[in-house]
Amino acid sequence: MLSPTTLFTLSSSSFNSPLFPKPNTFTPSKSNAINAINAPCTKPKLGSNVAHKLSNLAAEFTSLSQPIDRVKRLLHYASLLPPFLDADRVPANRVGGCATQVWVVAEMDERRRMRFRADSDSEISKGFCWCLVWMLDGAKPEDVLMVDRDDLADINVGLGMSLKAHSRTNTWHNVLFTMQTAAKDLL
Amino acid sequence: MEVLLPKLPSFKFSSPSHCCSITIRSSSFVRFGFRRVSSLSVFASTVNEAVAEPAVGSPSLGHSTRPHFPILHQEVNGSKLVYLDNAATSQKPTAVLKALQNYYEGYNSNVHRGIHFLSAKATDEYESARRKVASFINASDSREIVFTKNASEGVNLVAYSWGLSNLKPEDEIILTVAEHHSAIVPWQLIAKKVGAVLKFVDLNQDGIPDIDKMKEMFSRKTKIVVVHHVSNVLASVLPIRDIAQWAHDVGAKVLVDACQSVPHMMVDVQSLNVDFLVASSHKMCGPTGIGFLFGKIDLLSSMPPFLGGGEMISDVYLDHSTYAEPPSRFEAGTPAIGEAIGLGAAIDYLSGIGMQTIHDYEVELSRYLYERLVSVPNIRIYGPAPSEKVQRAALCSFNVENLHPTDLATFLDQQHGVAIRSGHHCAQPLHRSLGVSSSARVSLYFYNTKEDVDYFIHALNDTVSFFNSFK
Repeated sequence: MLSPTTLFTLSSSSFNSPLFPKPNTFTPSKSNAINAINAPCTKPKLGSNVAHKLSNLAAEFTSLSQPIDRVKRLLHYASLLPPFLDADRVPANRVGGCATQVWVVAEMDERRRMRFRADSDSEISKGFCWCLVWMLDGAKPEDVLMVDRDDLADINVGLGMSLKAHSRTNTWHNVLFTMQTAAKDLL
Repeated sequence: MEVLLPKLPSFKFSSPSHCCSITIRSSSFVRFGFRRVSSLSVFASTVNEAVAEPAVGSPSLGHSTRPHFPILHQEVNGSKLVYLDNAATSQKPTAVLKALQNYYEGYNSNVHRGIHFLSAKATDEYESARRKVASFINASDSREIVFTKNASEGVNLVAYSWGLSNLKPEDEIILTVAEHHSAIVPWQLIAKKVGAVLKFVDLNQDGIPDIDKMKEMFSRKTKIVVVHHVSNVLASVLPIRDIAQWAHDVGAKVLVDACQSVPHMMVDVQSLNVDFLVASSHKMCGPTGIGFLFGKIDLLSSMPPFLGGGEMISDVYLDHSTYAEPPSRFEAGTPAIGEAIGLGAAIDYLSGIGMQTIHDYEVELSRYLYERLVSVPNIRIYGPAPSEKVQRAALCSFNVENLHPTDLATFLDQQHGVAIRSGHHCAQPLHRSLGVSSSARVSLYFYNTKEDVDYFIHALNDTVSFFNSFK
């Protein structure tokens, strides 16, 4: 994938506030909010919103050199995650293999776009979930499947895990895998 | 585009020089606002002044042994490493690292086969390691020690070999809800195969396995009891000698998971009168990839092989084979030779310090940890409160109200360089009994110090304060 720096040149002041908007509600027409981001960018090689968002996330977390700032950013994103229905917090929606409890609900809307909701009992995991939902909610199933596990290594938030390794603590991988399985099933 | 403002006025993405803004917001944390510590001596003196009693006289066991563990002297995530995940695995002293290097540099060879010099030397050292293990747990005969790849394999060996050939439908296997998954799952598999029944001892009001209920569970149907010696979550100790007596009274066998006791105290299999006992090398300063099973020789001799392969046979024909005597019968294929020799070196190292010395120091450290931890607001520590009668192992599993243990452990690691465990610690049934899905666990070994505990407590308070500031 493209280097984040070639895609995204932000002045340091841009990081005084969180970069990204709230994930869209079920209104696919608004899913292009990324275009409103005030940053110059070249066209992503993969030609999709998903790839663009992935690069943005990578650029954002790469710019935060201190772990505490990455944790703060994730906690902020955790607070943006829309409320999750108690009825959805069931074993069938549990993401297997996480050290924390994570739930994901995946659906396809009438425009054949994937719609994701997620939640966790851990605030940091909720932050991861927000990032993935923000990145993949409203995407075509084909685009969801296009994301490579290794791409997430570039969003290295470095929080208690080596993102290259498949580990039970690796919420990124496990949630992405769940989302991709759902996308494959709905194709 | 919707722009969302942070929840807190103090929420900002600071430059590195402002990274401690959270810690100094509350005046009670001001003196703990430091995080980068360049050396042990600086750190120790700072904390000594603040909290711990000044070191007088001879240094503690922790202080005197720390230099033997090169891995402890490093920075992680910009902070001095404070390693408090010893119940998961221990660190290795230089003596063990050297033994491994000597083996691979000097006499690496396969054992029990070659007649050449290297093979003879490797065999001598390998068998010497077996004798060291036997002596360490006071087994009467080194043939009673079977090297396995870990303790889990030891449990599986007993389950598949002894269990499959001795258990019948409706026979009962007694365990506690506090067992490690490695002690539960093999017996679930065997019980399903033979139609035996697993009976679990619940926790009592004090939050430890109910020994009185266990005593009532024994009957002529009981064929084996599978229990931990020291709980890896509750830090409680089971009265193994009594349990063995109750089991033997009804003709049942006892298998003890001693993973959390053998590294920390004197364990005497003859005095405890257990039939089987398993432990693992990596929790007692030895290499990974090796553990051992102790089994009384008459039992081992009567048991069929578990795994087939080289080494464990006497003669092989096309239609059948005859098997070697224990322990070879249970060591199919080339064993973990270097690892066994490394385990032998670990035992030499531990014995050089003295297990009683290690235990006494850990009891003191354990009390200190509990006292400091219980003072943290809104904390729940699992297992018994220490008292004159009740000794806890040097570990505490806990939860802080409204804070996920994994978030807590992540922040401790990232911001403070403190390594602890979070999760269910391979004890999901126990966590269900405790009414939680996971917990945080801090676990000490003899190379830890009170200063480590102090630093952990400061880091924990800072962590709680950090997350509370987001609520």
